Amino acid sequence: MKTRILTFTLSILLVVSARAELKWEQNIIELHPSVGDKQAVAHFKYQNTGTAPIHFKSVKASCGCTTTQTQKEVVNPGEKGEIVATFNIGDRTGQQLKTVTVQTDDPNPAQASTVLTLKADITPALEIKPQVVYWQSGEEPKSKKISVKAAKEFPAKELTIKSNSQNFESKVEPGKPGEWTIEVTPKDTTHPIGTALLIQTDYPKEAPKSFYLNVVVTNPPQAPPVLRPTAAPAPGLKATPAAIPSVSPAAR
Amino acid sequence: MLAVLPAIGEGFYFRDRVSWQSPIPASELVTVDQAKAWGDGVIWVDARPDDEFASDHVPGAFSLNEDHWGELLAQFLPNWSPEKKVVVYCSAESCNAARDVAKRLRDDAQIQNVFVLNGGWEEWMKKNR
Repeated sequence: MKTRILTFTLSILLVVSARAELKWEQNIIELHPSVGDKQAVAHFKYQNTGTAPIHFKSVKASCGCTTTQTQKEVVNPGEKGEIVATFNIGDRTGQQLKTVTVQTDDPNPAQASTVLTLKADITPALEIKPQVVYWQSGEEPKSKKISVKAAKEFPAKELTIKSNSQNFESKVEPGKPGEWTIEVTPKDTTHPIGTALLIQTDYPKEAPKSFYLNVVVTNPPQAPPVLRPTAAPAPGLKATPAAIPSVSPAAR
Repeated sequence: MLAVLPAIGEGFYFRDRVSWQSPIPASELVTVDQAKAWGDGVIWVDARPDDEFASDHVPGAFSLNEDHWGELLAQFLPNWSPEKKVVVYCSAESCNAARDVAKRLRDDAQIQNVFVLNGGWEEWMKKNR
């Protein structure tokens, strides 16, 4: 009987003392991909510093643009490993923040879920301002200017514009090294039309990169309904002005 | 003062378990029912990856994700007009792609009246299938 009680007590003690603990080297990794890189890869390293094995239940990225790889499903006590998060940059620019949520079977709810964060600052190869140029239907078909600036790591020397549309004319004026001004003029603005001009660079030589500049003639903004008072406002009350029409991009 | 200290401690302890992005302002969110009530005045924008768009999407939606932003924006813009409301969606409530695409439509393309669909594609499916 004594042996049974002792075995039972020992097993209880073992269960209670067995703890799982996944320690992460870094929960936030900041990456600085070079101009033109297609991917940014973060290695989130961990170690099981507990005395019980840990099972990964799920590893989910916040964005379809990020894929994850876990090396193993079970992490035994003392074992090390890493979760690799690969962020596909695509056409993204600026500060990017992607998260990976890791769920384990750790009995401690506070430890069972961990959010790993991947930060990446993506410099665009060409800074095109504005990226879309608008005219309103009926607006005078005046030319509009677009400034283009190459990043330091993108030493393009020449820009050319390609277009399938006969409705817009464009010309490129070089400025300081790595800077240009593009002037676009619609041939007519009587009806809505849009097209993308392809900005072709001469860098890198083996596969020169190209970018889009959108030029659009939009519908005229719809006139707000004219509110006609059915009766004179009561004495002391001012007539309510009609709703302010939203300003279309072309009007900015 | 007594409540502040544990709050700071808890904030530090759980720093890796909180969302880094602020919630989308209510004025920029729209429900499936609200968006459907706008009828033809809406342009639907699918911010999910190409394969998810190809498998199914809101009828009439345009694919516009940041994987091929330049190319897809060029296809979208000729179909947009200023009086339309743009409703952007991604997979579910938890995804950020719709918010990012909506922001870029406002900032880069200077388009107003851009909304994010509350609950995303998941919510659309619940209401329409």
